[in-house]
Amino acid sequence: MSFLASTKPVDPATAAYFLGQIDQARTIYEMLFPTQHLRFILNVGEDPVWSNPEVIEGTYVPRPTDLGTDYLGSIVRPGNSSADPEVTVRLSIPRQPNPREMQQTDTPWRPTRGLGLLFRASPLAYEHLRYSVEMLRKWRAARRQTNTAIPLGRGTNLIAGPVSPRTDKRPAILIGMHWLEMGGAEKLGFDTIRWALEAGLRVIVVAAIPTIQRLAGRLPDHPDVTFIRLDRYLPHPMWPRYLEKLIHAENIRAIHIHHCTPLYESLPMLRVQLPWVQIIDSTHIIEYDGGGYPRVSGVWSSYLDVQHVISGELVSYMRDTFNVSARQVVLGRMLDQDDALALPPLRLQAGQKMLHVSFVGRLFYQKRPVVVVLALRALQAWAQKNDVTLTATMVGDGPYNETVAELLRRYDLVSQVTLLPGSTDITALLDQSDILLLPSNNEGLALVCYEAVAHGCIPISTRVGSQTEVLPDALLVPLAPRAAVQGIVAAVDAMWQDAAKLAGAKTDLQAALRRMSTDPTAEEVLMPTYRSLAKGKVA
Amino acid sequence: MSVLTMTVAVIVTFNRSGKLMTVLDALAAQTMRPDIVLVVDNASTDDTAELVQARAQADPTIRYLRLPTNVGGAGGFHAGIKAAYQMGAQYFWISDDDAYPQPDAIAALHDALTRFQAQNVWRPSFATSRVEWTDGTLCEMNCPRTVWDWARFVRPGSPWALVDSASFVSVMIPRWAVTEHGLPIADYFIWFDDAEYTRRIARSYPGIFVPESVVTHDTPDNRGVNFARIDEKNLWKFKYGARNETSFRRREAGLVSVLAYAYGVRQQMREGGVPPRLRRQIYGALIKGLGFRPSIERV
Repeated sequence: MSFLASTKPVDPATAAYFLGQIDQARTIYEMLFPTQHLRFILNVGEDPVWSNPEVIEGTYVPRPTDLGTDYLGSIVRPGNSSADPEVTVRLSIPRQPNPREMQQTDTPWRPTRGLGLLFRASPLAYEHLRYSVEMLRKWRAARRQTNTAIPLGRGTNLIAGPVSPRTDKRPAILIGMHWLEMGGAEKLGFDTIRWALEAGLRVIVVAAIPTIQRLAGRLPDHPDVTFIRLDRYLPHPMWPRYLEKLIHAENIRAIHIHHCTPLYESLPMLRVQLPWVQIIDSTHIIEYDGGGYPRVSGVWSSYLDVQHVISGELVSYMRDTFNVSARQVVLGRMLDQDDALALPPLRLQAGQKMLHVSFVGRLFYQKRPVVVVLALRALQAWAQKNDVTLTATMVGDGPYNETVAELLRRYDLVSQVTLLPGSTDITALLDQSDILLLPSNNEGLALVCYEAVAHGCIPISTRVGSQTEVLPDALLVPLAPRAAVQGIVAAVDAMWQDAAKLAGAKTDLQAALRRMSTDPTAEEVLMPTYRSLAKGKVA
Repeated sequence: MSVLTMTVAVIVTFNRSGKLMTVLDALAAQTMRPDIVLVVDNASTDDTAELVQARAQADPTIRYLRLPTNVGGAGGFHAGIKAAYQMGAQYFWISDDDAYPQPDAIAALHDALTRFQAQNVWRPSFATSRVEWTDGTLCEMNCPRTVWDWARFVRPGSPWALVDSASFVSVMIPRWAVTEHGLPIADYFIWFDDAEYTRRIARSYPGIFVPESVVTHDTPDNRGVNFARIDEKNLWKFKYGARNETSFRRREAGLVSVLAYAYGVRQQMREGGVPPRLRRQIYGALIKGLGFRPSIERV
């Protein structure tokens, strides 16, 4: 039997993949345009992530570009009547990612163009230059940006506003994530999905950023959890229109935003057309360049019902910068209270002859892995002077992998410092460590500090973000790279030389954690809201 | 893995109409026939044009592309792949005018590409056949080069070794590889264009050797490329080969690699007793290759 190549039947696995993707896209657009005469023009995409959607409302005459070499076919979903308007959706169905793309791979970090020589001559000078530029950028951003909340007109009772329609459908919550990849905000996002499910809500998850969404497989395997791939198939400007339909169809009673930009942009529509939907927002770190999501949250604060933050610093930021009411901003720590109540003794002893130092974090600039290596080098010099055997472990993956390995070779630290991947058992490592280094450029309230203390390890961190809430002064070092390196050595030296100072640092550290443990946890502040939503109560 | 399977066979020919007709017969007998058979004629002076056009009258899958001048095998494959890309090929089956595929050769290449990706998620940048000489032994000049972990996915029922270099004799290339890496270098004229191209596209992921796809290469003798065999008659080809590989090595691996190559060439010529006058011409080609930097054309 002979046949032409183009008539060869598609193998079942490929067919299942494509039909599944087409089905996802159709579900989104058929909800968005329920009555219109809807036509899909489908292509095979070369991008593993994005479908490059184009929505044309009105009469559309196909062009030659619609029937290019990657043309897959066209699907028509007739409108309710012949008079209904036409909508054409052009999509390129993303291909399946390959194993390399499925891994968390980042392009290796390289010094800024033209500054490679400086980095090779002095990594510390390079870091200092970068730090100076960042400080300048921060100063400029503070002058340039809006730091006031957008006013929200509530209207008058002269004109009746929309009311929640009656429905028999169980209440649902929409949880909007930045993406489903590794990160602190994402950890809280996944926790909230679990809590909402436990509260009895149906959970619909969306993500703002089109990526491979590597953690999608970690979503609870539960019939009440649905991940809708808006990130892949729907352009951001169309999200508000889609959400309006989705909220009605699924009886969504609340939206919880975790750094999901298109959901902020949907807030005016929600307030005008769906005012009964409760909006909860969680934020973590005030970033230098633009303030990050807390600033976005602050600007939209009039439109939000609950602003959940993880640190006292953020409570003050919202209150002092955006005049947000104390009732609206709620502190909910990402901390397990049981850990704080049962703190083990901290391991470091004055004058001990073996010292193990650890670093745990993604090898991105935010964590300043170069400064970590420079600090380890300085600590090694200190250890030799004091006849101490120093060993260290750096755990993490990221674009700085190669640079860190190269610097360790250059400073002859290969025998003292072990590099381990991000999948390493962190608790086992912390159980063997005396000191944890965290010379980050920026932090909210680093969870790894809690973990370190809970496993008898003393953290030393830069004085950034809300780290002052968890660490005493003796364990905080300046942000400037040189001062950070010197500060780390000075902090270790002070505790190692002086038993009284060490005891003071331990007492202050454990006291800070116990103090924090009296604050409510994120679960404690969010669960009551989730439970009341699940019971169908209107905010 | 694609749902689109439109396949174009690209055959480059020059003054070998008899063998070319045998190739066209073999293509017509394929279990999975190419949607288009594109014959790229390097301005043949024999009856190639008449014979191909006569066949095209009866077989609508045959297209004839006559180039105004002989631009060599490299120029022919460059022009052929470019034209096939414009025709919408999702797969390019590339071969010489003296290589006869067995009836299931093309189907086996396509099946292997599809199944390999379904099994291993990776998508090979090409699939290449087992090329035999007329007596059924391995054709020496068409043996693909394996990568260090060639056996990674070799299993009973899917015996596909990973390779990163193959000749343009029954090699199937998916469209994405051409989109991502461009066309073969036409300026090479002849020799090493196939090795350069397959090594270039294999940067994304290696190709696979598909032993169940078999073609017969009808060459006058079965000998590999070796500078020991240079004579007056074939010197011109070796000069192109030396220049092209030098240029490639300089681009990809730098001067040390060129020096290693030049040393190997010298050793082969010494062992073969190549006359000094011919050797000097090869050295001249090596030097020429250092400054030869042809551009890579994108589609």
